[in-house]
Amino acid sequence: MLPNRSRLSVLVFLLPPLLLYGVAVLFPILQSLFLSFFSWNGISDMEFVGFANYVRMLTGDSVFWHSFINALGYLSICLVLQLGGALFVASLLTSLRRGAGIIKTLYLLPAVISTVAIAFLFVRIYSIDPVGLLNQVLGWIGLGGLERPWLSDVNTVLTAVSAPEGWRFTGLYMLIIYAALLAVPQELEEAARLDGANQWQLFTKIRFPYIRPVWITTTIMATTYGLRGFDIPYLMTNGGPGQSSELLTTYMYKTAFTSTDFGYASTISVFIVIECLVAVGLILLMLKRKADA
Amino acid sequence: MTAQTAPVTRPIPAPPSSPAPRRRRRKPNVFRSLSRVLIVLIVVVQVYPLAWLFLTSLRNEHDFATGDPFALPSSISFDNYVRAFQTGNLGQNILNSFIVTMGANLLIVLLGMMAAYALQVLGFRFSKFVRGLFLIGIIVPVQIALVPLFIDYSSVNLLDTYQSMIIPLAGFALPMSIYLFSSFFEYIPRETYEAASLDGAGPYRIFGLITLPLSTNTVVTVVLVNSIFIWNDFIFANTFVLSEGLKTIPLGLQNYIGAMGKVDWTATFAAVCITITPLLLVFLVLNKAMIQGLESGATKG
Repeated sequence: MLPNRSRLSVLVFLLPPLLLYGVAVLFPILQSLFLSFFSWNGISDMEFVGFANYVRMLTGDSVFWHSFINALGYLSICLVLQLGGALFVASLLTSLRRGAGIIKTLYLLPAVISTVAIAFLFVRIYSIDPVGLLNQVLGWIGLGGLERPWLSDVNTVLTAVSAPEGWRFTGLYMLIIYAALLAVPQELEEAARLDGANQWQLFTKIRFPYIRPVWITTTIMATTYGLRGFDIPYLMTNGGPGQSSELLTTYMYKTAFTSTDFGYASTISVFIVIECLVAVGLILLMLKRKADA
Repeated sequence: MTAQTAPVTRPIPAPPSSPAPRRRRRKPNVFRSLSRVLIVLIVVVQVYPLAWLFLTSLRNEHDFATGDPFALPSSISFDNYVRAFQTGNLGQNILNSFIVTMGANLLIVLLGMMAAYALQVLGFRFSKFVRGLFLIGIIVPVQIALVPLFIDYSSVNLLDTYQSMIIPLAGFALPMSIYLFSSFFEYIPRETYEAASLDGAGPYRIFGLITLPLSTNTVVTVVLVNSIFIWNDFIFANTFVLSEGLKTIPLGLQNYIGAMGKVDWTATFAAVCITITPLLLVFLVLNKAMIQGLESGATKG
């Protein structure tokens, strides 16, 4: 603490940031919580309905549950691609002596591109008429039987919509994990090698335990980002065909701004917040436990 | 050489010792070249869609419809770029994105630095609680703010303005910025502050004369990392902005989807190329700083 600080100076420095943060983040959270107990279309008078929105969401709305399950599917595909892919590539990169810098840059490129551009790009890659990149490649390598309109096929659309999101951010997580892997002390690895550890043992017994704190952070980042995924599904399919690629976030958005049901939309967004908090809690519980054991 | 010739005269220990090092050397080599091949493959998969995007923007329409996606364009044409500028409002979109990015970054840096200064350097009784409050913003998804902000904006006539995008973008980025600044301020030695205090400098002068000038690197980091997300923001712009004149790049790109989904793909891809260029250039020039920023943002968290 600074010796001659005054209470006033603390307030001068703290109030402006708190004001912005309050207006943009804290107050809206409370407001959503408040609105979730009302029925309101934005024009007529607000009507207090108690827990009716919550009852409707949890018991009477099949679209909601469908979107919830889709959101979990979307999340798991993103996690596998982002964390699994990132860990794999980062481990491979540590065996390189030169050129890691340029690969890191290339790998991070997709993260710099806007989601609208990515959505355009992948709509074209998945398309069947005119034949898109993916179907063309499948045809060439002799898997022509798999060609299909990826975005209008109910069975593939969720995967097709999740993959670009996963693709976009693997570079980011790879970067973080790679930096952590480089920090593993060489002496530890050398000692393990001298004791006859193979690559797999080296990874599971030395490297991974060492980077566990970073792994927890990246898992939390990837999970919260995956749960708030919105742009790419919204732009590519708008939840369709039917509800087969509807996520909670896109459903909430449509409820709010297409059906102008602000009360019910707020109920769904409260659920999304709870879902994020529960997910972070679970990750901490699972990964911290293992670290202690 | 002498060491190698020596075992020949004593044949018994020589055979086991000479193949052993060779095998040990060959094994990592196989592993290394395998991982090199894999890395190249993965990078190709990762980067190819972008290269394809760029190549397509140079093809003429006929070439695009019939040609194979891996060939180079039969002739390079910049027609697409001309059409891209005619169809949309690209210049205006880029300017708008620039204004929003600058505005939000200014708030994020200035307010983030101030909050970190209050929390880390000045210190006060409820600082733990305030830190906790800011942590919420990292976990909570941005969508929660859409409905409330839409309602609030319409009641104070802020819908369809630059501020309507800047406020939530800055607000949700603030926690990470505070966090990065706090962890940097930890490294400024206490003695510096104490010496300045003894010389009679108050908290404001210390902030202006010591903390602010020392933080340049962290400012660059914060600005670079946030610019990626703000430049590309879609959800806030899409919710709060309606008029053409205020549309940022992501919204402007949507104009290229014509009625009934008829799309002029080559022109669209040209437009995409134009809009990603500014950020891409910054990224390629400053990628060391940016990569460092992204790494430190997470590893310290």
